[in-house]
Parts: sequence; C-alpha cells; structure tokens
Amino acid sequence: MSTQLAVIGVGQSKQAKRREVTIGAMVREAVAAAMADAELEFSDIDAVVLSKTPDLFDGVMNPELYLADAMGAVGLPVTRVFTGGSVGGHAAIYAAHLVEAGLARRVLVVAYSKESEGNFTWALSRGLPFSAQLGAGAGGHFAPVIREYIRRSAAPEHIGWQVAVNHRLNATRNPYAHVQRPDITVEEVRDSPMLWDPIRFLESCPSSDGSCAVVVTSEEYAGRTERPPAWIHGMAWRTETGHFAGRDEVNPRAGQACAAEAYRQAGIDAPLEQVDVAELYIPYSWYEPIWLENIGLAEPGAGWALVDQGRTAYGGDMPVNPSGGVLSGNPTGATGLLRFAEAALQVRGLAGEHQVDGARRAVGHAMGGASQFHALWVVGSTRR
Amino acid sequence: MTSLSAPYTVEFPFDRTVGPKVGTFLAGLREARLFGVRAPGGRVLCPAVEFDPETAEETGELVELAGEGTVVSWTWVSTREGDPLPHDFAWALVAIDGTDGSFFHAVDVGGDPGRMSTGMRVRVRWREVRVGEIGDIGCFEPVPV
Repeated sequence: MSTQLAVIGVGQSKQAKRREVTIGAMVREAVAAAMADAELEFSDIDAVVLSKTPDLFDGVMNPELYLADAMGAVGLPVTRVFTGGSVGGHAAIYAAHLVEAGLARRVLVVAYSKESEGNFTWALSRGLPFSAQLGAGAGGHFAPVIREYIRRSAAPEHIGWQVAVNHRLNATRNPYAHVQRPDITVEEVRDSPMLWDPIRFLESCPSSDGSCAVVVTSEEYAGRTERPPAWIHGMAWRTETGHFAGRDEVNPRAGQACAAEAYRQAGIDAPLEQVDVAELYIPYSWYEPIWLENIGLAEPGAGWALVDQGRTAYGGDMPVNPSGGVLSGNPTGATGLLRFAEAALQVRGLAGEHQVDGARRAVGHAMGGASQFHALWVVGSTRR
Repeated sequence: MTSLSAPYTVEFPFDRTVGPKVGTFLAGLREARLFGVRAPGGRVLCPAVEFDPETAEETGELVELAGEGTVVSWTWVSTREGDPLPHDFAWALVAIDGTDGSFFHAVDVGGDPGRMSTGMRVRVRWREVRVGEIGDIGCFEPVPV
C-alpha cells in the first residue's frame, strides 16, 4: 500500500431477531451511526459497497438496488460484494482498494442480514435434482473438519466448551451482541444437545438479524474528528476451491496465504507477540484454535493450548473476540464486517466495556463458504 | 434419446417485516383508506416509503389522501390471466391529489379505450375483501362527471 488508509466511522445495530423494523430501517441504523461517528453527510461519500450473503437467505433479489435509499446511495456508484460469510471482510477491503486506487475519497461499506425473514438451513441445503440432500446446514459441513482437527492436535474435548464460555462471557460486555448468557458454565455447554458431533448446541452460532457499516478513507481526509481513526496496516483476501482431492480444510492454504500477505504489509513477523487483540470468524467454538493456527497466531497443533492456558480469554495476552464474536451474534452478511469493525474500534479505544487495555494493533478476520474465502486486515492506533 | 428429468419444487419461504411506516400504509388499505408519506421539502409520496428516493432522508408523517387523481400517462392492454380486470384495460400513471409523482395501477373503462385520456379524473375502486396489500386497490375508475 502506498497511501495511508484509515477507518473513520463505525456503526452497528443491535443483533437480535428484529421483527419490529424493515430491512431498510435496520440497515439505516448502522449507516446513520457510522456517518455520525465520521461526522459526514451522504454528500461527502463517493461510493457505497454492500456486503450481503446469497439472496436466498432472506429473499431479497439485488439488495444493492432495494437498499439504495436506505444506504444513502442516491447518485453514487454502488457495488455489491458476494463471498459467503466472509463477505463483510471482502467488502471492507474492496472499499479500501477504491480509496487506495484514487477512485474515491471516502467509501461507505454497508453490511446486513435479516435471517428471521428466511430459513438459513433451508437456503444452504435445499434439495436439488440429481444430488443427495443432506439437509445438514453449515454445522454438518464443518463437523468433520473439527473432528479431524481434534484428531491431529490431540486436543482435549473441553477446549470447545471453554471457547463457547469465553465468547459468551465477552458478549455480556457488548450491548449489541445477540446472545446474552452471563451465567454460562463449561458444564452447561458440555451438557447441551449434540447437534453435529462433536458440535454441541452452545458451541454453535445463532442466526441473527443485524447490520454494520464503516467509512474508509485516506490519510488526507482522516483525523478530522475528536475520535481517532484506525489505520489500516495490511489487508488481503485469498480464495480456494471448496472441494478437491487432497484439500486440507483444517488448515486451508488460502487462509495461510491471506494472513501472510497482510502481515507482510503490516511488517509483522511474530504475530502472537505483535498483535494485541483479534476478532476472528468463529461460528463453531473449535474454529478458535483452527483459525489461530491457520493465520499464524499459533503453530500448527498449538492453538488449543492458548485456549487452555486462558490466553485467548478476555484479560489474556491474546484476547480473541472480546465482542462476543460470531458465537454471540451472527447476521451472516454483516458478521465479517463486524469482525473488521470491532478490530478498528479496539485500536481506536472506542470498544466500550469490551475494550482491551492498550490495544494498539488488531486483526479482523472473516471466512466464507466451505472455508474457501478468507479476508484479513491488520489495523493499528498509529500510522503504518 | 430422452433426457433425464427430476421434479423440483421452487419455494419462497420468506416472511417480510414491513415496519411501522409501510405497515400503517398497508393496514390503511385493509380499511379502504389511502395514505401517503411526507418527504423533505413538504412533498407527499404515495405509496408510502421509509426513505425519500431523492435525498435518501428518512420520510416523516403519514398523510391521509382522498383516493382521487389525474391520469398522467397510460397504455392500453389486452387482459391476461392474473391481470386485475377480466376485460381489456389501461395501465396508467395516476397523479393522486395531494401527492407528488404518480402511482402505477390499472384503470377500468369497461373495455373501451375511447374512454381513456390523459388528464382524465379517476378514483380508487377498493376490493370488497381486503387483506392489507397493494392489491386491495382493485383498480382506478373514472370519476363520474
């Protein structure tokens, strides 16, 4: 990156089942909050990028057209980005690319899902002619990958339960989080129903309605408000095919390459020491050690020990998902952008009750499809 | 040679939230009442929307309308299955009194295109059974002179 890039506005809605508001009004909540944070009017924005999961999930075809008014996109170029669950991360990076390329001064990134208006598992597993219908949803896909991680790493089974507890306790410090379980215990997670062996109910993300928005700009237009910007130190996205012989979905190469490129740009050579906090796309508890290893915050096979030693809990030296993460709220179209936005809030010192003391460098991470799409940015409290 | 085929049922199991503004507009239709919404600058838009298409600002209060207007433009069509009328009719843009812009709907002139003209006065004809959707307006019809 030649230009210094920054996040100057962040907004999000409450994540919940939101049947009192329309999709447009829910999107506007995040857009209005991000614009207020950046102290901008729609006339200051040069382009809008929309992040949304497949149309089938909540039944709006071409949401980039449907929401043009709610996003304040009147008279502006709009682009929709579309990469499964990672889409919010990809949208943020695409917006930063527009600024970096000199095509826009300020880009508004908007993300949402309103899953209560559709049926997520139906949309993921609808019966198609000539193929077996598993009807297993996302958990059914990821369960064997988790089983293989446990086999390879010889991790004890309580690791998944502990991650579920850590993230839910973190969510009690985030008023936007959907799941609020202040009394959760490891025993309660262990005793919750088995959904897709080895994934238990309380180790799974909810299905949520929610929205998120951020404003990305260049150095020239940053630092004009009292609230400090988050500086983008590195960003990358990588892709691989979902199914092929010999693929390692436990430690996907695209995820490794994505993180390595972002760290290279950020000048990071020892991620565990040099990153203060991480917001990772963890839809099932075991994905915490899986992604720690995949993005180089732990050596292969060593991620679970960071969990076991309490290092990834709030108050540990490598806190993961202080917001409560995907396990505490999952409006899928917005989930990736929420990770990127929460990383930005941490280094801006604006994360409220879930602020990590002294967070100067943070990772925001998103994953989509069958771990096919990977996006990651490193943001910092000072210029790169 | 014959091709393989398999049954495939297309479903749309979605459940849309309309919110307080559009919800009040739709509830009005069920009661045979027509509402517009106040936009910035004092303009009134019908059907009611949450955001002003020109400025993207949030719209304001709902405004009850008389349900009469003037045909701005129209085209004559032959009726087909699923159309709002069993005989030939016009699709028209109707400028509803008290609003800005126009409303797209069918106009029933008894199948006689000679009775259609730009500038003619029309009024809402409500369906007898109304459920709170735009189809509760069966069509527009000429205002008796």
